[in-house]
Amino acid sequence: MDVSVELAKAIAVAGKAIGAGLAMGIGAIGPGVGEGHVGAHAMDAIARQPELTNVITTRMILADAIAETTGIYSLVIAFLILFAL
Amino acid sequence: MSTKAKMQLLLFLVVYIIIGLWNAKLMTAPPSEALKNIANRWIVQFGPEKVWYYRINPMTVIMSFVVIAIIIAFARSVNKEYSLIPGRKQAFTESLMDFLYEIVESSVPNEKYARTVFKVAMTLFIYIAVSNLIGGFIPGISADVAVAQEGTRTVRFVLFNDTWFPPTGDLNTNLTYAVMVFIISQFFAIKTKGVKGWLKGFLEPVAFMLPMNIVGELAKPLSHAMRLFGNITGGGILVLVISYLVKYMFLPPFLWGYFGIFSGLIQAFVFSTLAIAYMSSSIEG
Repeated sequence: MDVSVELAKAIAVAGKAIGAGLAMGIGAIGPGVGEGHVGAHAMDAIARQPELTNVITTRMILADAIAETTGIYSLVIAFLILFAL
Repeated sequence: MSTKAKMQLLLFLVVYIIIGLWNAKLMTAPPSEALKNIANRWIVQFGPEKVWYYRINPMTVIMSFVVIAIIIAFARSVNKEYSLIPGRKQAFTESLMDFLYEIVESSVPNEKYARTVFKVAMTLFIYIAVSNLIGGFIPGISADVAVAQEGTRTVRFVLFNDTWFPPTGDLNTNLTYAVMVFIISQFFAIKTKGVKGWLKGFLEPVAFMLPMNIVGELAKPLSHAMRLFGNITGGGILVLVISYLVKYMFLPPFLWGYFGIFSGLIQAFVFSTLAIAYMSSSIEG
């Protein structure tokens, strides 16, 4: 009887860990690709017009922060799974 | 480097090492024990029943007032030395306002509304920036809340264990501001397009898209709030988890520098820029 309770707890912990890891890992792919695109095109633009570096850098950071949003959502979900479930 | 700066750095180092050793002495529990309570909040329940509207988060309320006090103190000190030839604080304030006003001016189509949009966005920026900064890298008092099996919460206050609690690390604060921006933008839309034009906007490009448009409008405040909340809370928890073993000895200043100063200011800027974008997209020129 005692063993089955222990086993159920262990399975719950394992499920939490796997779920949080998958949520964060898969969720980080999209923002990574997106931020890479933003950075690459910002570099292209700076190479073409170096005098606009300040404006482009500001916009690039803004776009990065917005592209990051889905990654942040998966971080929140991972924390919810780990701590609140 | 001047002697004064050297003395200040030395003082910082001494205080830093003393706090680090103190924490190392206190932190003897294994990580699974020590980090068990990091997602719990101090909640005070009052009133006759256990329902959600009789519930407050005292930490958020207290820290909100602390942030407000800091901003008011700074504003008063700027106002006191206000002059035609700006001093240091005044120049800083003016350049900050000018920076945001240029963004507002370039994105609001009708310049009659530029000042109103600017006031809302600037207020949000200052409040969120100060809140992120005090929560980002200044160690202080934090509430360590343990939740028992039957749901009773025991609160214990710990000194220099964590940074101050930022009000923006609570979804209630962020959602309040996001909903406020949403209501203001809808108000602008009604004022500039008229009630008929505003309702017609939901039927574009075809009437079939009505549910999509409504969901799209309602998703704006939610994503607006969740972005800030996730960044601040996630950053705080990440710093705690990563720096647990070397607490206050080497790593935390760099993590604070990234998650507190850099990420905090960027998120404050993003929040106010998105507020400007949402408000100006609903104004018709």
